[in-house]
Amino acid sequence: MPRESLLISTLVELADNLVDEFDVIDVLTMLTHRCVETIDVDAAGVMLSSPGGELQFIASSSEEMRLLELLQIQVDEGPCVECFRDGNAIVNRALTDHIERWPRFSPRAIALGFRSVHCLPMRLRGRTIGALNLFRTEAGTLNEEDVIAAQGLADVATIAILQHRISLDAKTLNFQLSNALNSRIIIEQAKGMVSQATHCDMNQAFARLRNHARNHNLGLTTVATMVVEGALEGTDLDIPKEAKGH
Amino acid sequence: MLLARSQRENPRGGSLCAVAAEFTELSGAGIVLVSADQNFTSLCTSNHVARELMDLEISLGEGPSVEACAADFVIDEPDLANPGERQWLAYGPSATDAGAQAVFGFPVRIGGIRLGALCLYRGAPGELTATQLSDAYLMASVIGRAVLSMQAGAPSDTLAAELEREATFDFSVHQAAGMVAVQGSMSVGSALVSLRAHAFALNVALSELAQRVVTRQTAFDPTSRSWVKVQETES
Repeated sequence: MPRESLLISTLVELADNLVDEFDVIDVLTMLTHRCVETIDVDAAGVMLSSPGGELQFIASSSEEMRLLELLQIQVDEGPCVECFRDGNAIVNRALTDHIERWPRFSPRAIALGFRSVHCLPMRLRGRTIGALNLFRTEAGTLNEEDVIAAQGLADVATIAILQHRISLDAKTLNFQLSNALNSRIIIEQAKGMVSQATHCDMNQAFARLRNHARNHNLGLTTVATMVVEGALEGTDLDIPKEAKGH
Repeated sequence: MLLARSQRENPRGGSLCAVAAEFTELSGAGIVLVSADQNFTSLCTSNHVARELMDLEISLGEGPSVEACAADFVIDEPDLANPGERQWLAYGPSATDAGAQAVFGFPVRIGGIRLGALCLYRGAPGELTATQLSDAYLMASVIGRAVLSMQAGAPSDTLAAELEREATFDFSVHQAAGMVAVQGSMSVGSALVSLRAHAFALNVALSELAQRVVTRQTAFDPTSRSWVKVQETES
């Protein structure tokens, strides 16, 4: 069946994004379009929570969907917001039956042509990071197979996003660690040079480097680099006041 | 959990290494970090032999850790005295002299992000068992995450205090290079090369020679362009 193979290839594409070149917005936009193509829904949208915990609109398959997602976030009301808050799927809700429940959202969604809503949590190990939202222009229920397929897509997307976040963090931290190590090495080399050039011990050498950096409003690593590269002689460093007279 | 336990039992630094050796039931372990421009820095070593092995690799630029830093799987030599295809012409004999008969280098990385390597050695030859192999891979993974999580939250451009406590960074080699650079009017890079060559010629560990330089027992004499023992009467 063409629908099944498109579904499977979507899952594979999502899983394949567990690598470097992963753009969250691109991938989730692709997901929303595939939902519309493979499942019996007319619009799809994705919201993710920001580090602060607030929901953010990320992707949608249509402009109407985008407006409805933004509206829900703005008024903090609606099926997707509820789904994210509780971590439970909200399936097969007829908008006309939910005007009291979502008084600002439902009339607007109906006005844009939608009749039923289905929101699936993006969850892994008890943590909800967002929601996959599916809207239909027809009344009636989404069949069981479609709900399962949609939840499957949401699950794989969740894993891909979390993996990507972990690797981003790791990349940044490794970069920082790398820089910190290199800076430290340069400082130690500079200490050796200053110690030899001015006949002081390593602690005094360090004090001179730090003192010079402060006096000239430079970073310690900057001063150390200048010494190591020969741009600044160890003997030209400012001598700390306490050390004068030694 | 492993780390917490080892910190209780072994409050001094280098507990990541001690745990690695204990967990895999091998003679000793060393962890090396590789930074941006292929600089290798020893994080910790669990005993004197592991330290010598680490020094050798950093000096010679060859060995299981050096290769593991760029590999996706273990670099193993279960019998250094009778190596198979893998020949470390300089490292091999020096490693056996130091007391290692089998060495295994495991990449320490998180996905595609490479932090360095875990080097395990045994005083007797032999392959790793399947359990030891999987334990070592697990340990390498734990080390990667532990190191990064220790560094997290540090002010930019500085090593986290927790990492400093955990590691036994030995920067004496770099201090010595600075001193020799001034003694010989050469660049720090050349001074490092000079130190490594002299250590190898003397058949001492690089860190040992560095200590002698830093404590002013040995120096590079600019006139004769050679290494000299410093007389005690000199200041």
